[in-house]
Amino acid sequence: MKNQKQNVWVGTETLKNDPAFLELAEKEFVDDVKDMQAADNSLEANRRDFLKILGFSLGAATVAAACDTPVRRAIPYVTKPDAIVPGVATYYASTYVEGGDACAVLVKTREGRPIKIEGNSQSSLTGGGTSARAQASVLGLYDVARLKGPKVAAGEKAFDAISWADLDKAVSGKLASSRNIRIVTNTILSPSTKRAIAELQAKFPSAKLVTYDAVSSSAILQANEATFGLKTIPNYQFAAADVIVSLNADFLGTWISPTEYARDYASNRKLKSIKNATMNRHYQVEGHMSMTGSNADHRIIIKPSELGASIATLYNEVAALTGGARVSAPALNDKAKAALKIAAKDLAAHKGHSLVVSGSNNKGEQILVNAINNLLGNYGKTIDFANASNQRQGIDADVQALVKDMNAGSIDALIVLGANPAFDLPNAAEFAAGAAKVGLKVSTAGLLNETSVLCDYIAPESHYLESWGDVEAKIGHYSLVQPTIHPLFDTREAGLSVLTWTGSTNLDKNSDSPYYDYIKQTWNAAFAQQTAFGSFQTFWDNALHNGVFEAPSPMEGGTFSEAVNVSGIKVSQPLNTELEISFFETINMGAGQFATNPWLMEMPDPVTRTVWGNYLAVPVKWDGVRSFNAFNGLNEEEYRGKADKVNIEVNGISQTATAVRQFGQKDGTVATALGFGRNTVGETGKNTGNNVFPWLSTDADGNTQYYAAVSSISESVEVDELFACVQYHHTMGVKGIGVDGDEINVDEAATVDNNILARALGVTGFQGSLTERSVIRQGNLNELEQFATDLVHEREHHQKLNSYGLYPDRSDVYGNGHHWGMYVDLNGCIGCGACQVACIAENNVPVVGKVEVARHHEMTWMRIDRYYYGDYENPNVVYQPMMCQHCDNAPCENVCPVAATNHSAEGLNQMAYNRCIGTRYCANNCPYKVRRFNWLDYTTADLFPSNEYAINGEETPYGADNLTRMVLNPDVTVRSRGVIEKCSFCVQRIQEGKLTAKRENRKLRDSDVRSACQTACPTGAITFGDMNNPEAPIAQKMKSALAYKVLEEINVLSSVHYSAKITNKNSELA
Amino acid sequence: MKNRYIIPKFFLLFIALILSVGTLSAQDLDDGKNLFKVNCASCHAKDMKSKLTGPALGGVAERWADYPEADLYAWIRNSQALISTGHPKANELWNEWKPTVMTNFQNLTDDQIANILGYIDGVAAGTYGAPKVDPNAPVAGVQAEETDNTLLFTVLAIILALLALVLTRIVSNLNYLAQAKEGNAPAARQTLVDTLTSKGVIGFVIFAAIVLGGYTTVNNAIGLNRMQGYQPEQPIKFSHATHAGLQKIDCQYCHDGARRSKHSVIPAANTCMNCHKAVKVGSTYGTAELTKIFASTGFDPNTDKYIPNYEEMEEEDIAKIYKKWIVNSFVQDDNNKTKYSALKISDAAVKAADKQWDGIVSSLTNDQKKQVQGPIEWIRIHNLPDHVYFNHAQHVTVGKVECQNCHGKVEEMEVVGQYSPLSMGWCINCHRQTEVKFADNDYYDSYEKYHEELKDGVREKVTVEDIGGLECQKCHY
Repeated sequence: MKNQKQNVWVGTETLKNDPAFLELAEKEFVDDVKDMQAADNSLEANRRDFLKILGFSLGAATVAAACDTPVRRAIPYVTKPDAIVPGVATYYASTYVEGGDACAVLVKTREGRPIKIEGNSQSSLTGGGTSARAQASVLGLYDVARLKGPKVAAGEKAFDAISWADLDKAVSGKLASSRNIRIVTNTILSPSTKRAIAELQAKFPSAKLVTYDAVSSSAILQANEATFGLKTIPNYQFAAADVIVSLNADFLGTWISPTEYARDYASNRKLKSIKNATMNRHYQVEGHMSMTGSNADHRIIIKPSELGASIATLYNEVAALTGGARVSAPALNDKAKAALKIAAKDLAAHKGHSLVVSGSNNKGEQILVNAINNLLGNYGKTIDFANASNQRQGIDADVQALVKDMNAGSIDALIVLGANPAFDLPNAAEFAAGAAKVGLKVSTAGLLNETSVLCDYIAPESHYLESWGDVEAKIGHYSLVQPTIHPLFDTREAGLSVLTWTGSTNLDKNSDSPYYDYIKQTWNAAFAQQTAFGSFQTFWDNALHNGVFEAPSPMEGGTFSEAVNVSGIKVSQPLNTELEISFFETINMGAGQFATNPWLMEMPDPVTRTVWGNYLAVPVKWDGVRSFNAFNGLNEEEYRGKADKVNIEVNGISQTATAVRQFGQKDGTVATALGFGRNTVGETGKNTGNNVFPWLSTDADGNTQYYAAVSSISESVEVDELFACVQYHHTMGVKGIGVDGDEINVDEAATVDNNILARALGVTGFQGSLTERSVIRQGNLNELEQFATDLVHEREHHQKLNSYGLYPDRSDVYGNGHHWGMYVDLNGCIGCGACQVACIAENNVPVVGKVEVARHHEMTWMRIDRYYYGDYENPNVVYQPMMCQHCDNAPCENVCPVAATNHSAEGLNQMAYNRCIGTRYCANNCPYKVRRFNWLDYTTADLFPSNEYAINGEETPYGADNLTRMVLNPDVTVRSRGVIEKCSFCVQRIQEGKLTAKRENRKLRDSDVRSACQTACPTGAITFGDMNNPEAPIAQKMKSALAYKVLEEINVLSSVHYSAKITNKNSELA
Repeated sequence: MKNRYIIPKFFLLFIALILSVGTLSAQDLDDGKNLFKVNCASCHAKDMKSKLTGPALGGVAERWADYPEADLYAWIRNSQALISTGHPKANELWNEWKPTVMTNFQNLTDDQIANILGYIDGVAAGTYGAPKVDPNAPVAGVQAEETDNTLLFTVLAIILALLALVLTRIVSNLNYLAQAKEGNAPAARQTLVDTLTSKGVIGFVIFAAIVLGGYTTVNNAIGLNRMQGYQPEQPIKFSHATHAGLQKIDCQYCHDGARRSKHSVIPAANTCMNCHKAVKVGSTYGTAELTKIFASTGFDPNTDKYIPNYEEMEEEDIAKIYKKWIVNSFVQDDNNKTKYSALKISDAAVKAADKQWDGIVSSLTNDQKKQVQGPIEWIRIHNLPDHVYFNHAQHVTVGKVECQNCHGKVEEMEVVGQYSPLSMGWCINCHRQTEVKFADNDYYDSYEKYHEELKDGVREKVTVEDIGGLECQKCHY
């Protein structure tokens, strides 16, 4: 291909070799004082102020020194609970559940306070993996925006407190007099909640349940009903598929059950050997680059409206090879057409070992997808209905009918179970208008949202960490939700509210925990499905202990109905407009329900690497040499944290959006994320992006469509000076062109250009002219053996160079006892960010806010770098989790004037915060740019309140109030202002693991010490352990021929190994 | 000439000073101090002026001056024996302090007692150093050899200053004489004031002040928040001497976190109730202290049952229950039966109950906690800064360190105080010297090199330092 480039790049400037960018990339800290002052006037200080502050500090220190030591109290329990030993964590099995999103978890509690979520390895769905959302859910418990108790409407969007008794009396009274009741909800996974709703429907026969999902899979349910007679999502087995074609389904990020799919997908992607290696091949058909697309071997780029055409084309190609009826396929771009033909061939060659999935929300298109899988013989092999999924149950047409009925005035009672239809429906405004005509409106949302402010009563539900509950994510896969803390506020489970309003006779009101008893009753059904336990109590105790219970599914079926007339199916026609926009769900924001969670807000989107809002992804086009054309010439200075704002009009609604350049974006299209721009939301979610739900439309079946025609996009109307994109922060290994036209390493340009001796000797580059620095190593499966040999040789060369180093050999020290190391499988890493959020939760990493991120001040100890390689217009992506590499010859340690960072005998690069004086020399000298400086007192850990000023204009910084501080890990210091911090390899976990082994009088097992990122990873891409223990997996894996160390040539002896990224490209398409 | 005798005068003064230093250092008060700390300090206040479990010891020799010196020695060795002989001073003390019995010290020699008494006198009179416990007193396993030389240095400094003054005067006089001899007498002789206000002297004084000030500031700053000897009064007069010493209850019976957690854990009130359901009247304080535990947990000692819905009860109703208990106990006490007549005893009981109840309420409530129900808020004695990670299980279960190593002889403490400095230097020192029991624990098998060295005899022992015990992130993360 003409645009092929072997090297990796991070953004347009890398390719362009923009001198200003190169200069910027050289710096660890961007100290643009002028910009800082523009951003926040409170930072302005002159010499007088300095002297004043100096005087004050001296005085304050004197006063503080003269003060008496405060009397501290030690308050023991009156009666100590058996399960709690102060200082020792207690774990409870539970299930994270949010709408159709579920993940079996273990909740770590300290002194009865949940502080961390771990995956539950007992679950065969996730195998102990988690998602960023599950990791961040513990912060949701301590959300300051949560409702403190039941509320009754008092005028325009104002609420008064009410007692539960009064609320229940009022609601059940009004329900009794209602003729037409509707319950509107997102997908419910809880059998008990469903049973409660069924009881309500039995009591009030007019009550109808309306289920919808903000990001809907309605068409899949309808298509399966048409083709199999089963209105359900089947069980997709990605592990069994050798060829996967995903037509705009973000199955690794957001589609239906991403944690489960990611695990299965990666299991067939991580290489087990070099010889005869096999892995799946993944084609992704899409317009914008999704997280799943970024992991694909081949991306087939289409316009969003061409999805129907591509499904029909693929169907025809498969049918041509397997013998099936044809359909009429609309026109499709030639490149995609040719690529689909090759993909179809690949599929047909892997009959029964292939899988075609689609995120289309068009019934006809989904029927065709089913037909493709049927032609390929995938049903019963890679797709089955035995363990069908419950994770999406919403039918869009139902909620559209409800909106119509409400506006017609025929509904007189509406119960909203946690959902937010006044925000996340395409016609949310119509819903709000209709709500005004409904007599009784009750919401059970735990936080005030766009829908609950319309309601007469709010019966806030408890957070899942305070609730009893149950989940049946897939048929036969049961899990329990158990409370890990007494409800912080006056809230209760939504199911309990429904039962109370029903006046259910199955609810024992005199019981201490009526809802718990009710769930136990429900679980009698699950008990009946098994034979392992004789008594219900032992069965229940076991399920509660394990958190999950898996029963063989009684569900049969899954024969493709011959009655379906495929040839008559109509797919959506491409839009013939100049510009199109596609809408997608991001892994962190969902449909907006996580808008008050600052951990998720500040988690960079894996692909665009932007935070705190949604951005308009615009395509870039390359001439392949040195210049490029971005759409409308936007974002020339993206790398400086400046982006252009444009006015964009869709569906007659115009909004101003900040653009972001995006590789792999189909020209003539733009894309933006759903779920941002909430207006009735807690402080965290305010002013974060645009609400694009009003831009959505529905098709003839009532299904929501996630693309639209763009009426117009303006030129740049304004410059967004606070473009919070971490793509250009902490870049390493960036290449540039030196003064004499040679390729050099940017961060060492000065070394080369100004070093007279080097020039005289004709030496270019650094350390033996190594300009080709080993940051990312990528290859393809068909040339794997050669690639592995080359990599081994390259490493040998590096190691030979290193043997001439000046550092003393300390291998005898590290060879004795433990030597901690990490191994990251880049083929397993999908970029989902679960590790990053887990790290934040484990290590009390502060949230800094948008303004601070824009100033390069993000504090994350672990970042996931995203690199592009290959075709400029349609690149492949590699994600690289980057954390402190714990170099045994650490450059940071040599430059610390106070020895605040130094090395342990176990190979840990240690950071003593209380010794650090904040010179930042270490960060400047870190080749990996993983050290973070506490510019401000983000967690108000400082002694002097004068240091705690409002960071983003907020009254209290995120995480500084006493409620949010409950999430802090007591085993990790909360760092105050002015110190460097970085990844510690979870030293608190190392210490804990070692102590466990010592107390049990045995050798340390590998399972004793597992880092937070490792346990969070859904794909098992991260391995941590003792490199000196020959039985530990790390010791085996680091010997792999595909293992390499980043920047091994600079002789820092890092302890983190990466395995090369290997794709499985189809040679016909390459 | 008047000034002729000035040198011999100063010389005499100098001799006198040296002699006085000699007499001071001849007394072996340091031994007395150590003995006092080990034997007496748990009951007698270290300032010798305030009462603790036992009387203030300042001026004890004068108080016993009417009797032969041997009587005081006998009293110290075995007080009860002396009381039983009917010794008037002994019985006077016993009547004032009973039922508290002074511990016997049979093994103290006459010299040792003399040293203790000398030390007591020295402290009471203010002639012996600061009335503080020496922070460098021997800690088990740690050698600390440092005596207080402040006095010596001060005396030396004064002598040197005087010497300097004398020499200056001599130089000045000689100059004056020399000039006078030459016939060109200056207008005025340089006076002492002139010398002291000269640039050189002022400069030197300022320099010395800065150096001394800096030294003192740094030294004090390092010691900030170090609270060795901190011995606050607790809401309940819980006696470790009674529980751990006399009753020999194992430390970890109550502090059950020590073996498995980073915290040793202040026991919950219901741990107390394990025994005090049966032992309802204390040996020392009767009902005054134990009723606090009952009031905290809601145990009704009248009926031996826990009070239902105790959390919601009003204070008056609670007071009724516990006052009833105190009155009953008071009336049934044999001592009170002999002390009061049958008519007066109930009045006295009611008075005692009111007084005790006030004590209970003030101990169990504070600005934050308004009601007597609920946890007892003890005063925390051992406070480590937030950035220090310390794990009891590591030291107690793995290292097999005795509690007394760091906490002192708690079993002899009536009121617990902080025994060790808990400074980083103190931790580090112990890590340097403590030998890891390598052979006892399979965990250490991974240190293959050390095992080989031990086997080959290259290495005698493995200390905590050798396995990384001095590294920052062992305690700070």
